[in-house]
Amino acid sequence: MLGLRIFVYVVVALMLAPILISLPVALNSSNLIQFPPQSLSLKWFAAVFQDQQLMTTTTRSFGLALIAAALSVAISMPSAFIIERKTPSLRSLFETIVTSPRTIPQIVLVVGFLIYFERIGIYESLTGLVVAHLIVSIPFAYRTISVSVSSLDRRLEQSSAILGAGPMTTFLRITLPLMKTGTIAAFIFTFILSFNNVTIALFLAKLGEPTLPVEMFQRMYVGGMTPVIPAIAFTLAIVGAVLFIILDRTIGVFKYLGGGK
Amino acid sequence: MNEMVERLPWYRRVPDSVLWVLVLSPLLLVLFFFFLVPLGYLMERSLLPYVSGGLPSSGPYTLENYRAVFGDPWYWRLLGNSLWLGFMTTILSICIGYAVAFYLTRAGSWERTLISVACLLPVFVNVTVGILGWYILLLPFGVLQQLFSELGLMQGPLRWLRSLWTLTGVLVYEHLPFAILILVSSLQNVPEDKINAARLLGASAPRILTSIMIPLTMPGIVASAVLIFSLSVSSYLVPVLISGPRTPVIPISIFSFMSELVNWNMAGVLAFFLMLTVAAITYGFIALTSRLTRRGQWSVV
Repeated sequence: MLGLRIFVYVVVALMLAPILISLPVALNSSNLIQFPPQSLSLKWFAAVFQDQQLMTTTTRSFGLALIAAALSVAISMPSAFIIERKTPSLRSLFETIVTSPRTIPQIVLVVGFLIYFERIGIYESLTGLVVAHLIVSIPFAYRTISVSVSSLDRRLEQSSAILGAGPMTTFLRITLPLMKTGTIAAFIFTFILSFNNVTIALFLAKLGEPTLPVEMFQRMYVGGMTPVIPAIAFTLAIVGAVLFIILDRTIGVFKYLGGGK
Repeated sequence: MNEMVERLPWYRRVPDSVLWVLVLSPLLLVLFFFFLVPLGYLMERSLLPYVSGGLPSSGPYTLENYRAVFGDPWYWRLLGNSLWLGFMTTILSICIGYAVAFYLTRAGSWERTLISVACLLPVFVNVTVGILGWYILLLPFGVLQQLFSELGLMQGPLRWLRSLWTLTGVLVYEHLPFAILILVSSLQNVPEDKINAARLLGASAPRILTSIMIPLTMPGIVASAVLIFSLSVSSYLVPVLISGPRTPVIPISIFSFMSELVNWNMAGVLAFFLMLTVAAITYGFIALTSRLTRRGQWSVV
């Protein structure tokens, strides 16, 4: 077991390395990407908030992810519930249909979106972005809520019925609140996936209005990267880590993300 | 009887099937119009001839785009690179992921959170963050590489191999979380008493691994292999930022056809080609593993 333990911690170190290295690079006082840094300064972290473009793209990413997550949860929840409860025999088939967008390489989907959106005129629009994010998030939202519904304790609903509540009352006051955790989990995970998605935004966003990951990518690829990028990268990493720890301690990440694709 | 029905509220009088159609239809309609239809357009575009300027033409369907791809050895090289990356990333991710997932099932609460945070971070944080980090880490190596090649210690082909391995490393970094997620829930379903029984009967650790754990977690292994293969073959950002033109892969070509050359027809062909290749390999893999499982050698203990 000791060998395994050492191996696992080596893997942990390698997984943390790229994120940890962005910190010293971001603390560099000169505007070059170099390691080790010449001298230390916190100015690039302050620069993150002063950089208009970065702040605009962050807001845009945030808004887009919010809309996409809300819509995909809203559209998947009724279906997940109905399928779980009323027709368990159709569950497999329906789940295959709903998760099929994820089985295709995202870049293939995006090319299809591009061609189709241009035809129907929502190319390079917010609607197009939302739709694309929606298609890619629905499999995820559906499965998370489906898992949540299947683990509901039916006895609570039965007790409510025995005590005299009608079906609608039981549904509104017992079932829905019980599904709250799963729905919130679905929302948060879909939000994170949309926020971090690069492929879709890269191809479908309007040229002057990128999302945050696309903006970061362009500065890295085309040029013009100053240590502000490692600064925001490290900030995002910290936020992501904190979010993960909160989620894992409250909802339990593995339970919801683990079952299958 | 009829009077009872009339006293029911409206939502109880509607037959079940109508209710189902109403509830399921938004989801199904969205999937149809925004998933199947775009794929149809994709296929149609790949069969249309290219019109300069990139405008969609309504010309006769032709296979000339496909001929251009299959006849050109350049694209076979792209395919080779993509597939190599896919296979290597998948194999490495599953091996490493299996070990980490196994350890996680036996770890204490806080240790588990710590390891999970580290290993699942690429999913929670941007792809670009990880790539940036690796880019910085690899810079010293890049410099070393140039130094070595100037001194004559490294030739051309070696540099190419180096590049593919580097890409594989970063791709494994990106996709290890998925392997761990799926394998942890798969490993959690392996009953502990079977393993203890085997150990009591004197089985060595490798034996326990091959005859008990791998068969019982096979669905998880297959699921994560399929997912990681698809993700790594279609990865665009990692190849373009880490090794650029040295290791061309299909997604890079698709991107250049889409935005630089504005030849969406060829982009469509390549995208379709990619999709079919991934689907074929996935199907073959699943067929292979289910045949092995059914042969009785992997019968559940």
